[in-house]
Amino acid sequence: MENMIYLDIERCAGCGACVTACMDQNDIYPEKGQPAFRMIYQVEDGQYPAANIRYVSMACLHCEDSPCIIACPTGAITKDQKTKAVTVNRDLCIGCHSCALACPFGVPRYDLEDKMQKCNLCAERVEFGLQPACVKVCPFQALRFEPINKIQDEKQLRFVVKAVSTIPTNKSA
Amino acid sequence: MMDTQKLLKGKIACPETGIEIRKSICAICDPGPLCGLDLYVKDEKIIKVEGSEKHPSNLGTLCVKGASLRQYIYHEDRIKTPLKRVGARGSDKFESISWDEALNTIVDKFNAIKKENGPESVVFFSGFTKYFRPYLKRLAHSFGSPNYLTESSTCYQAMAMAQTLVFGTPSGPDLMNTRCLLIWTANPFHSGHSNARAVLKGKERGMKLIVVDPRKTPTAAIADIHLQLRPGTDGALALSMANVIINENLYDKDFVASYTYGFDEYREYVQAFTPEKGEELTGVPADEIRAAARMYASIKPAAIMPSASPVVHHTNGVQNYRAAFSLAGLTGNYDIKGGNLVVPTSFIHSPGRIPTREHEFTQSRLWSDMPPRIGADRFPVWMDIVDEEGQSMQLPFQIRSGKPYPIRGLIGFGLNYRMWPDSKGFLDSLGKLDFFVNVDPFMTDTCKHADIVLPACTTVERSELRCYGMGYIIFTKPSIKPLYDSRPDVDIIYDLASRLGLNDPLFKAGYEASIDWILEPSGITVSELKKHPEGMFVPNPMKIPEKKYLNGGFKTPSGKLEFKSTVLEKYKEKPGFESLPVYMPPRHSREATPDLANEYPIILNTGSRLPMFIHTRTFRLSWTKSLRPNHPSADINPKDAAILGIKQNDAIRIATPKDSITLKANLTQMVQPGVVHVFHGHPEADVNLLFDGDYLDPVSGYPGFKSALCKVEKA
Repeated sequence: MENMIYLDIERCAGCGACVTACMDQNDIYPEKGQPAFRMIYQVEDGQYPAANIRYVSMACLHCEDSPCIIACPTGAITKDQKTKAVTVNRDLCIGCHSCALACPFGVPRYDLEDKMQKCNLCAERVEFGLQPACVKVCPFQALRFEPINKIQDEKQLRFVVKAVSTIPTNKSA
Repeated sequence: MMDTQKLLKGKIACPETGIEIRKSICAICDPGPLCGLDLYVKDEKIIKVEGSEKHPSNLGTLCVKGASLRQYIYHEDRIKTPLKRVGARGSDKFESISWDEALNTIVDKFNAIKKENGPESVVFFSGFTKYFRPYLKRLAHSFGSPNYLTESSTCYQAMAMAQTLVFGTPSGPDLMNTRCLLIWTANPFHSGHSNARAVLKGKERGMKLIVVDPRKTPTAAIADIHLQLRPGTDGALALSMANVIINENLYDKDFVASYTYGFDEYREYVQAFTPEKGEELTGVPADEIRAAARMYASIKPAAIMPSASPVVHHTNGVQNYRAAFSLAGLTGNYDIKGGNLVVPTSFIHSPGRIPTREHEFTQSRLWSDMPPRIGADRFPVWMDIVDEEGQSMQLPFQIRSGKPYPIRGLIGFGLNYRMWPDSKGFLDSLGKLDFFVNVDPFMTDTCKHADIVLPACTTVERSELRCYGMGYIIFTKPSIKPLYDSRPDVDIIYDLASRLGLNDPLFKAGYEASIDWILEPSGITVSELKKHPEGMFVPNPMKIPEKKYLNGGFKTPSGKLEFKSTVLEKYKEKPGFESLPVYMPPRHSREATPDLANEYPIILNTGSRLPMFIHTRTFRLSWTKSLRPNHPSADINPKDAAILGIKQNDAIRIATPKDSITLKANLTQMVQPGVVHVFHGHPEADVNLLFDGDYLDPVSGYPGFKSALCKVEKA
């Protein structure tokens, strides 16, 4: 099973290191109208003194069965077989926004020339054996790049340890 | 095998791309984590920045600011050459001059002032960064001036002062071993990620976490108890916790009986601060105060994590923090494993686990052989406790009054006039100087008022010595040559020392020889350090024993941990200098000034960190700016906003009796109702304009940046 980018919401502090590391890696300059591949959202609910604030770092999910690929009329969007990254060929993009309609997660963004831009999973880094820039930089290991089932194993173990700790033990034995 | 185009696109360091990795550190925040860097260099240009895996401070990661370092290094606002002002001050009319002309002009001016008024009339100031501070302090004193000043006049020193008044020395939390961490207002997730990782690790091993913070930060969000107090009421909260700990017999009676001074009076004083009274004064529910007090006092070991500014940026800051640190005295958590450990600093406020001669190096002339430092007459406790420098909050007053002696010349390294309360007043004071030099990588608004501006290079273009608490040390190697005609600050300092004709053997010996001299007791040399451009663990890290007070007592005048300060007792006739940690509300508050509060009903709280900015250092970068697109903006609770008819991103005016600023509204539950929070230093909405220059803690001289009164309205 291939590695996936996974966000542990419990550890994300919304610092934005993933966003600027992505911009550094991919030469994205907002002042030139280039959209960020990765975004930070601050989600609030409740009110003082019981307010909750949570942070989400969000980029393309590189779906296995990608609606954007199906929707693209020019074949500009493809799935890289080595890395499973969903990537866009700028030269083939006609700026029709079909991918925007198809993507349920609001991922595709458009530059000043109306070409679609999005996270490419740092496919070249991944192919070389490195982590995507956003994962590498994350100071709290909120973003990880591992097989999803391995991450789930760890999550389940954390739950099991916590659950067991609430059961009284028979110390007289 | 990947083709070269792909490798280049991925910025992969390998022979095919010609991209190589060079090592350095990031000093955008300082002396925070000082993260190790892997700089990806192609054709002598940095094309990408990453955290260095082997560096123990950051373990391959970076914060948002460090990850933006490339834009910082190559920003178009970099000063290209030395400049001489040819227009009016502030007019931004400069012409390029040579380094020779610039430095010789400075030397002629400073030597003339020295001859006419004495060396004390020249001030040597350090803002950020801090690597050059030891050499700048020595320059000031070797020149003969006591007036080495720094931005620590608003950061760190007052926190250390509060601890020194109680314990005799500063301490820090033993994060790796504590079982209960009381974070007294810090948000390391946005200000120092290595500490945040330690907090997360602690949580994983079952450590309890109490966070005192007026704001709902990511740190507060993971706390077992978040004490969300009103800004500036820390003292009342701490005294109320002490009330619970004492009256419920949760304090360490042996420790208190054997090692403390003034307990009986302290116990008597805290009786007034019942949890219910605490709730009234702080806004924190009485039951939460009780729960936090019980948790902190009953789990051993417990540690208090302080912060450099938040608590001491109040007009009652030192007294408030004394009250908080007294809790470590009550519970015996001082200088024990897992508690508040005393670890000696090795270099630039960092504990490096090695002995050095930093103090001997920097204090090249004794204080007693120089006229009094700036602030000596107004802040006597500063002079008693702070050994490094003068109190620069007094600088504008002394420039204007000429008392006790005139100030005529000033050289700043990274001086930002917006650091001072009444920033406009400070700028006017700068205008009264005969001669002002500023050294900076960027053409800042402050530089525009200087007579001479010198271009400094950034961290990656220079060599600097740094120590780390885990016993790590680095002398960085320049990764690229200084850009344009810029130079490292230390080059400028050593060149000035030479041209000033100072008879100082270490300045004559040079920068690296000076470092060898400083490090001599450790046995580490520059030539050894140069073999490890990524840094190295020190060979024999100093063992840090617990309970050092068992040998020779506490370093206070009484030799004991002082609930009642014998230092403050000397000045007890001065308001605010009470020897017990007496709680007074902030000077401008509903409790202290109800009439003012009727007209200005909202608490103005400023300067808490946003993750993407530290002071003004990353304001220029489009990457960091993109994360707060509505900057400058004020955080306001949606409830207050609704009452005031304010919607997200509306222009609002924040006014105090002093002045007003206009900026955008950012509606968030991060701030509590009744409080508005503004990040500091923004050129278009400089919140320090709203403070009086003497809105200061009388003990430390620190500005009350974190609680004043204001009104907010739609602009």
